[in-house]
Amino acid sequence: MADIEQRSVCDGVNFRSIKDDRFKTVRVSVNFMLPLEKSMAASNAILPFLLSRASREYPDFTKLSERLEELYGAQIDADVQKLGDVQLLSIYASGIADRYALDGEKISAELSRLLCSIIFDPPLENNLFPQDGFEQEKRQTIEMIESEYNDKRSYARLRCEEIMCKNEPYGLNRYGSKEDIQNLKRENLTEAWKNMIQTARVEILVLGDCDPEPAYRGFYRAFSEIRKEKPAACTTTNVSRADQVNEVTEKMDVAQSKLVMGFRTAVSLRDKRYPVVRLMTALYGGTPSSKLFLNVREKLSLCYYCSAQYNSMKGIMLVQSGVETKNVDHAKQEILAQLEEIKKGNFDDNELNAAKLALCNGYRTVGDSLGAMEAWYLSQTFAEEIKTPEEAAEDIQWITKEEIMEAANQVTLDTVYRLVGSGENVE
Amino acid sequence: MSNYQIKEIKSDRIGDKYFEIQHESGLKIFLYPKENNNSTYAVFGTKYGSIDMCFQSSEDSEVQKVPAGIAHYLEHKLFESEDGDAFTRYAKTGVSANAYTSFDATCYLFSGSDNIYEALEILLDFVQSPYFTEQTVQKEQGIIGQEIRMYDDDPQWRVLFNLLGALYQKHPVKTDIAGTVESIAKITPELLYKCYHTFYNLNNMALAVAGNIDVDRVLQLCDKMLKPSKPIQVDRIFEEEPQAIVQDRVEQKLSVAVPLFELGFKEKAGKTRLSSKEVAETEILLNAIASDASPLFRRLLDAGLVNETSFSYEYFEGPGYASVIFSGESKDPDKVADEIKKELAAVRQNGLNRDAFERSRKAVYGRIVSSFNSVDYLANALVADAFAERSLFDYLNAVASADLESVQNRLKTQLLPEYSALSIIKPAE
Repeated sequence: MADIEQRSVCDGVNFRSIKDDRFKTVRVSVNFMLPLEKSMAASNAILPFLLSRASREYPDFTKLSERLEELYGAQIDADVQKLGDVQLLSIYASGIADRYALDGEKISAELSRLLCSIIFDPPLENNLFPQDGFEQEKRQTIEMIESEYNDKRSYARLRCEEIMCKNEPYGLNRYGSKEDIQNLKRENLTEAWKNMIQTARVEILVLGDCDPEPAYRGFYRAFSEIRKEKPAACTTTNVSRADQVNEVTEKMDVAQSKLVMGFRTAVSLRDKRYPVVRLMTALYGGTPSSKLFLNVREKLSLCYYCSAQYNSMKGIMLVQSGVETKNVDHAKQEILAQLEEIKKGNFDDNELNAAKLALCNGYRTVGDSLGAMEAWYLSQTFAEEIKTPEEAAEDIQWITKEEIMEAANQVTLDTVYRLVGSGENVE
Repeated sequence: MSNYQIKEIKSDRIGDKYFEIQHESGLKIFLYPKENNNSTYAVFGTKYGSIDMCFQSSEDSEVQKVPAGIAHYLEHKLFESEDGDAFTRYAKTGVSANAYTSFDATCYLFSGSDNIYEALEILLDFVQSPYFTEQTVQKEQGIIGQEIRMYDDDPQWRVLFNLLGALYQKHPVKTDIAGTVESIAKITPELLYKCYHTFYNLNNMALAVAGNIDVDRVLQLCDKMLKPSKPIQVDRIFEEEPQAIVQDRVEQKLSVAVPLFELGFKEKAGKTRLSSKEVAETEILLNAIASDASPLFRRLLDAGLVNETSFSYEYFEGPGYASVIFSGESKDPDKVADEIKKELAAVRQNGLNRDAFERSRKAVYGRIVSSFNSVDYLANALVADAFAERSLFDYLNAVASADLESVQNRLKTQLLPEYSALSIIKPAE
């Protein structure tokens, strides 16, 4: 993997680039981070979508889309995610490297320029975002929230997180709520936009086969003019243990029931032991040779999927499965029993090595995808020390069985969420 | 070293090359080296999918009919052998392994950065070593039963299969890939062996490896591991599919918040797959008609009928079936279908806009160039192309050299409103 170059644009705005001609494409992203708060979540969430649809130069959605097609199907897109208790608002551009243009066009410099103009020069009328674009994005954001309900596997995970973290900002929906989106006023959005570009913590990433200099200069000019205030403090609360188990069951007309169990691990990204919890999660339920896969699925045939994921920002581990309603409790018992096995040290060197190898394999393939590299460096934003995927792979090597057992013994069950069928489909 | 022809296939446009080898065992091998990549992706596939439910091999005296979902069931069971399962063996290498069954193929794959040759040896070994017993076959009923259940709740999956049921009268593409809880209950070890020996013949298979590989070392491993297959002929038997559709509208209620739709246009399709040129022309045509920059999409958006996240289109084609499918979420799918049909009628009457054609040619070209970053895409595409008798770089070249008239001519045989159907998933009350 080519080396990453890091520099500061100004206080709170970082610029990272990896120039690598193995790739046939370029990817430029500007990622704004703001504290996730009930009062601002909806107006922040709509911003990247509103901005990415037009600029003063291309005030019309169709004209901007035509321009992107001329640039060989380049894309400008927006995304909203949660990074712990932080709302991550991303706008990115991607396209092919200049050397593949059929008519010698300069694609990457143009994409950086477009991205810059979209973010800093929206087509405001009387200091307001245009009405039609605003209404469009309001409707589309509401539809994105509604469609979260359609995929039951991810819906059940969202519900469990929401219930488990109801007293933490992380419990909010990444887009705010349907109601808050509905009640947005154009008048508030200009203010929210200014707040975002002036005070958010910003990570700019320029990756792939292109010269990062034009992008750096463009963003330097734009940001250094407007950044006067101290960047927003982006903190995340970590609840280290659950004092009691919260059990919630919801009914829905579905054929398969979903079981999601949320655990507190006591360890988050800023803790030195976080690679240990990552490895423990892999051993427990991260691979087809993990405890959960081999026992809940292969041995007991209770499900098609049963896996564990670690959210290092929040220090949370989630176990998800899809089972027959009558088997939900059996699956829950077995999931807990397998965690006990790890606590007691009932796993051998082969299992531990398999988990290490699988994690390292994942780390070492990050460098082959621009999207994966971007996600990697964003996930590292709040770490004590930014590591490369290769360094993370190295950290895993030295972890011992005892450390895994110790980490597992700190894990406490916080929330059990069941989404069960209405009964007609139960055999 | 064995005898085989190694053909080097180069693309000056993309600056890449790969090797095509006809191995003496019968297997077709594709090797796409990417020297500075960290990872490697390997796919070992057979041209055998969910639609192959009725067949006769040159070894058989009679036609075989097998239960729906058996190809997918076989995929699950092939991971097991007498002394443990393939995942346990893979675990020592760290690679990430998986498999998938589609309408016309079953593929076993892994991706990894280290221990690639060890993993490749495991892949070549377990796919060539079937082991099915009453007990192991029985065990899988629960797991696949839950996989089927999961898809029963998946509105994206349901809306597609309801559409295929409305478009196709006979073709097994309308049958769910995993089958049903009832159909898989009929699967026995004997039936699995029958299907295995018919379709997992190396003459019916392909191997593609893309990434950080040494071509000679991969071929030496193939020489060691591949068991020569006797060339057999397999006749896949499909009832003749009439051009007419079954019904033009189908609805189902599920617990969704917003209705989902798929609008499909069925077209004539034979056993011979479409050429790269035809597929390229269709992609350009669809981009011109329905991309983000199209007047159609703008009208749908302004009317609040679709959203950018969900609206899309695809050319859905395989052995004996071909359809264009538009899909998305909408509060009024019937209105969306009307608007799409109106736009098609207008394009038929006025011809395709030249600027839209030029932009679409560039956009499709750029998307293909982008896909060449990924070893996953390359290995999967090489195998899929081998089964469709197409060649990887031809598609890119066909897009670059497409002309307006040929693209427009595709409208003579596709996107015909009389062969269209609309499938809708509505929210349950």
